[in-house]
Amino acid sequence: MSPKWTVWLGGVLLAAVIAAALYFPALRRQVNKAKDLTEKTAEQARRELLPVAPVSTGDPMVKVKMFWGSRGQEGELLPVIVELPLSRDPVLRAKQVLNTLLAGPVDAESRTLPPDAALLAFYILPDGTAVADFSDEIRTSIPSGIQSEQLAVESIVRTLEDNVPQVLRLKILIHGQEADTLAGHVDLTQLFRVNAKDVAGTQLDNPSPPGSSLPGPIRKAVDKMRQATKR
Amino acid sequence: MSQQTPGNSAPLPPRTGLNTVVLDPAHGGTDQGARGTEGISESDEVLQFATATKKALEAQGFQVILTREGNDNPSFDDRSARANAQRGAVFITMHIASTGLTGTARVYVEPDAPQANNITGLIPWDRAQTPFLSLSRKLGDLVQQELSKRFKGSPDTLQTAPVRQLRTTAAPAIAVEISSVSVKERAELDRMVPGVADAIARGLVEFRPTYVVPTIPVPGESVQP
Repeated sequence: MSPKWTVWLGGVLLAAVIAAALYFPALRRQVNKAKDLTEKTAEQARRELLPVAPVSTGDPMVKVKMFWGSRGQEGELLPVIVELPLSRDPVLRAKQVLNTLLAGPVDAESRTLPPDAALLAFYILPDGTAVADFSDEIRTSIPSGIQSEQLAVESIVRTLEDNVPQVLRLKILIHGQEADTLAGHVDLTQLFRVNAKDVAGTQLDNPSPPGSSLPGPIRKAVDKMRQATKR
Repeated sequence: MSQQTPGNSAPLPPRTGLNTVVLDPAHGGTDQGARGTEGISESDEVLQFATATKKALEAQGFQVILTREGNDNPSFDDRSARANAQRGAVFITMHIASTGLTGTARVYVEPDAPQANNITGLIPWDRAQTPFLSLSRKLGDLVQQELSKRFKGSPDTLQTAPVRQLRTTAAPAIAVEISSVSVKERAELDRMVPGVADAIARGLVEFRPTYVVPTIPVPGESVQP
């Protein structure tokens, strides 16, 4: 081979190496993206299928009180006024305020619920008992501890109390299932009293361990959610 | 749940005297609890706090039972059962949070609950804490006061929260939560160990003379805590 061809061949090979080096990072990004797509969990897929609580443009803007953590006072909640086009339907209204609570305040430090947690379902039974079903992340991503779990539950309860008067009691489910605790500390077997006028307070009258004697209507709602989760 | 705490068909007379302290280092086994800097895990750290507290209590003449001494994880009910099997016991579950102002400690008791409308004379396992709530608050107040003296920034008064571990415990029961596993270095938590142990021991010494074991109700009678 003549020296001239050797130079040409060397040049072509060098250009190929440079092109490959430039293309490789882009290729790796595409591979990772494809991998993320295939690793999407069943719950993520289900969440995408769930209809988001509609924000009707016809609904009037209402000032609502959201309860997030207080930066100044540790372990306390602080009401924050937010304007939302709030539905008159209590279930849609509850979904709207809970989704706003999950979306979090402007100041991320005041968050009470994990940013990746989602509200999967929400029902209100005729007796005023509401059932809120959250995704697994509410348990797996919340900072561990009594204080943080208590703040999470209290922020949900007080936000509902202030904005959805039809809700008297609340049962919290995780991924369609009854849970013993939120993340190892706060008791979820009970019904939380939401509205002060619920003087009967089934919450503490009737703590119901997982799988045992839940009141009939709640049992039906739980079964319904379990069915939905299986699908 | 069909379990019942040891109950009696005949009323037992009120009795003063605190015999046993059940200390519960939370979590354990595969449940490491909160995890923080320098590989700190709540389940390991809390065992150190409980061991030091046991020594401080024994020095004051208390008999102490730990719900776990190694890296195992008894169930909530098994932990409660250690106290429920005693008469004249108190129960303290110990936690380290992953949040909160570092170097502080809080005491929690169960919120108020209506008395069970019980016709059997037995205390339902699921609501075993209910007859002991006022005693739990008294104990919690004393321990919180001692903790706030030693750890600046700790609340002066006890907190209420529906802590699962407390609900099934048929004895004065409190949860002590220390902040936090998110300390900059492990030594900060280690420095808290003697203070926490001493605060709990002193709180219990003050509580001991006032502890009257509640009368177990008989059918048709209300509970007198």
